[in-house]
Amino acid sequence: MAALLLRRILLLALILLAVSLLTFGIVNILPGNVAHALLGETATAAEVRALEQRLGLDLPLAERYLAWIAAMARGDFGTSLAFHVPVAPLLLARLQNSVILALLVLAIAVPLALALGVTGAVMQGRLVDRLLSGFAVLAFALPEFVIGLVLILAFSIWLPILPGSSLIGPGENPLARPEALVLPVLVLTLHQLAHLSQVTRTSMIEVLDSNYVRTAELKGLSRWSVIVKHALRNALLPAVAEIGMNFGYVLGGLVVVETLFSYAGIGQLMVMSVSHRDVPTLQATVLVVAAAYGVGNLLADLASMLLSPRLRG
Amino acid sequence: MRRHLMLRGGAFPLGVLLLLILAPSIAPHSPTDFNPASILQEPGADFLFGTDEYGRDVLSRILHGVRPTLFLALACAGLGVALGAPTGLLAGYAGGRVDEALMRAMDVLMSFPALILAMLIVVMLGPNTINVIVAIGVVFWPRSARLIRSVTQDLARREFVDAARARGEPVLSILLREILPNIAGIVIVDFTLRVAAAILLTASLSYLGIGVKPPTPAWGLMVKEGQQFLQIAPWLVIFPCLAIGIVSVGTVLTGDRLRRAAALAEGRAR
Repeated sequence: MAALLLRRILLLALILLAVSLLTFGIVNILPGNVAHALLGETATAAEVRALEQRLGLDLPLAERYLAWIAAMARGDFGTSLAFHVPVAPLLLARLQNSVILALLVLAIAVPLALALGVTGAVMQGRLVDRLLSGFAVLAFALPEFVIGLVLILAFSIWLPILPGSSLIGPGENPLARPEALVLPVLVLTLHQLAHLSQVTRTSMIEVLDSNYVRTAELKGLSRWSVIVKHALRNALLPAVAEIGMNFGYVLGGLVVVETLFSYAGIGQLMVMSVSHRDVPTLQATVLVVAAAYGVGNLLADLASMLLSPRLRG
Repeated sequence: MRRHLMLRGGAFPLGVLLLLILAPSIAPHSPTDFNPASILQEPGADFLFGTDEYGRDVLSRILHGVRPTLFLALACAGLGVALGAPTGLLAGYAGGRVDEALMRAMDVLMSFPALILAMLIVVMLGPNTINVIVAIGVVFWPRSARLIRSVTQDLARREFVDAARARGEPVLSILLREILPNIAGIVIVDFTLRVAAAILLTASLSYLGIGVKPPTPAWGLMVKEGQQFLQIAPWLVIFPCLAIGIVSVGTVLTGDRLRRAAALAEGRAR
């Protein structure tokens, strides 16, 4: 187990290294000069050269990469070109807001999805199951912004009980205004719920059909205790793996939902740094998001290991 | 009963096909011409879906968006499978170091959330349709490769592949003549699932304003532009959202049905 864990952490470190190279490469090597892009079409050659010097773009690539990584390791993420403040504190505040949002979503979606998935499996083929599956297809197939806008129309325009945007001031705690969090959390939760409950349902149906469960039933255990104690434990494994995989959807969803609700998180920062061509902020945000994604996947792997005796081996 | 199911399954693709051919010609107005006399008109007899802040007919804009939306999704999915299938075939058949190297490269691509990787690539290549296709194709690459690799691994161990190897057939011919025909069904199913995912991704990208520029009648962009008038002209958002919803739910269901049909056919063959 320890060796496996060490290997996974090492792999994460390697992947992060590759991600940093890719992030750096996408910004620096691909066609389109950064300084040119920043200054626009009308910039003179002298202006471009001056900005290149200021950003260190005139140095060799390898040197620039090493300097960038070294600065990142020191916690110096550069200065935002759009906001004219250091990137690190800006990013940290945004990250905190996004983490709050994501944790709320996971805390609600995961237990609910397991409960709905088990319900669907136990009631397989009946009306409840069919309704749940139908809802899952709908919530999974619709983009987050469509679900979000429908909810805004319903709950903040036609029936004005919730705010349609979740603006929070700098330094303000998003939890101080819980009503502003309801709709963003709801949109992301619906999406997660749809996918996760179906995965749980499928694996639960498989487990309920196994000899193992039949034995437990023949032993005379009650239906309830078979489902909770025997079946769910086994059905949990694919669900947990799926939570890890889904983490990417949550992060992608954050970009859209934060933009939709003007919520000051890391996803909105990313979109803003794209539209302002704020390269240092963009690079830092991408790296932080990729790191979060990697750590999320690692945690899901760890959870699967703890759940599965075979993998623990 | 069976015919009934087929009818239901065929209705969506058929409807889409009809719209693809007819859409621009049944659009009652121009999708791009400004019309100052009829700004922000409510849905009514003249303008079934209402008009936007420039007086453009929402229905006509949505109809003109059908072709670009679907062609874009097909191209993205096509590129993704065209990159992923050969990678998966090679990795699954060769195994060993080749497999290891290819799949670790795929891991790196997978280490970005899909939407974010697509966004980055479009931003850096420049905002145009070709680059959106490239970006989403690259996003699909590892996902497609993993699937094809896993089915190829199973096939590579079968006797008929061993026999072909013993006959001295070159690797390329084994891949194309022995393995590919056996996984064609899965490649097609993979493609349809990618089309559904591409519709979601392209809609989200255009909603974020990445890769498309006004006045293109991309549905996501229409929603983004209409959002500021949500209070006074909700139809600017409702109808494009409805169009996105119908197409994405329809493609997801069609893909799902194809997958089930393929699984059924495979079960019968065994």
